[in-house]
Amino acid sequence: MRLTPFTLVEPESLSEALAAVARLDGEARVVSGGTALVSMIRLGLIKPDRLVSLHRIPGMAEIRADGSALELGAMATLADVERSRPVREGWPLLAEAVRRVATPAIRTSGTIGGNLAYAEAASDPAPALLCHDAEVRLAGPRGARTVPIRQFFRGFYEAALEPGEIVAAVRVPRPPAGSRGGYVKFTSRSAEDKPLVGVAALVVLDAAGRCQDVRIGLGGAAPTPIRAQRAEEALLGTPLTDDAARAAAEAAAEEAEPLSDLMGSADYRREMIRVWVRRLLVALRDGAT
Amino acid sequence: MKLTFTLNGRPCTAEAPDHWTVLDLLRDGLSLMGTKYGCGEGVCGTCTVLADGRPIRACLVLAAHVRGRSLVTVEGLEANGRLDPLQTAFAERGAAQCGYCTPGMMLAAKALLAENPAPTAHEVRAALSGNLCRCTGYTKIIEAVLAAAPGRK
Repeated sequence: MRLTPFTLVEPESLSEALAAVARLDGEARVVSGGTALVSMIRLGLIKPDRLVSLHRIPGMAEIRADGSALELGAMATLADVERSRPVREGWPLLAEAVRRVATPAIRTSGTIGGNLAYAEAASDPAPALLCHDAEVRLAGPRGARTVPIRQFFRGFYEAALEPGEIVAAVRVPRPPAGSRGGYVKFTSRSAEDKPLVGVAALVVLDAAGRCQDVRIGLGGAAPTPIRAQRAEEALLGTPLTDDAARAAAEAAAEEAEPLSDLMGSADYRREMIRVWVRRLLVALRDGAT
Repeated sequence: MKLTFTLNGRPCTAEAPDHWTVLDLLRDGLSLMGTKYGCGEGVCGTCTVLADGRPIRACLVLAAHVRGRSLVTVEGLEANGRLDPLQTAFAERGAAQCGYCTPGMMLAAKALLAENPAPTAHEVRAALSGNLCRCTGYTKIIEAVLAAAPGRK
């Protein structure tokens, strides 16, 4: 079955790409790996007149790390992020979450920028990037700007992209010294599915076992990926005991606003948040991940 | 649009409309029917081919994006009239029933063995996690990939 015909534009610079998106004749969509966009065209959910491919823009797939942060070009594929030595060594939580996206062949093509722009609530990378307080760099007709990731997901499949804006890169600050991180993904149908719930966490425990820093990111728990702020507040400064982990998981389940869909009901999702937040926190405390 | 790339080790030039995927290019543009159309949404894995050694979904990747890259399809596994060890292992161990998933299975396995010549059964299962077999033949498929792994001999 063929795709509905469209014109493909292949600009060789970001400014040409922005101009191609801004043209007023017909509907334009930006395509990076195409894993989500081509499916949507195939399913008839969108019928763009023009696709603007970012493939020919030099340097957009670069992965660079320095003392303070990791910079992922939007066109860096998930397979490249997952295999990158600097990412695995300095941002193991992110590497782990990216490795859980779909299947190897999807990760070969899918990009980190495309994953963010798609604004999937049940994204695997998003909860990890939320824990890292990442910043999304956007390019647009009125210049470049940077959006903290906590403000980037605006609604159900809705990112904070103004008309004509393109995700250019993601900046991921180095995790705090001594932090331990992990990502757990629970799927209700098959291993390669989107998570019913995904939980990412970064914690720093002091010598007495108290939570000096705690960040919990959730996928599939609301119309957008979220930070479990009340769960974090419940843990901060307290020892990470079994009871504390249970109370935090309870808080996360309460503050979640899960949706019902084919993967599971809202009630089931809430229950799984309760289970998996607790399990991840205990595993991090015990050094099991 | 005109596309120049490497196909099964040989230079290839082809014409394709803008909206064609790699699968359209292979089957309809180049009459290579080994790569199958399954779900069209990147889920079933039967259209898996290799691009620069890594598995891709031919049904989801735009034809334009293979420019300058090296593609391998099931037709390219055989070399100089000799079957690839994976093909021999699949045949000897009965790792195909209806055969529709087989090209995708073998190419996903080919990418794994190039990166990891001595995988564990768990690693084989992870590498094939995106390839569905509806004849329920997974056990023999995993056995065949392990048998063809050069580092396990």
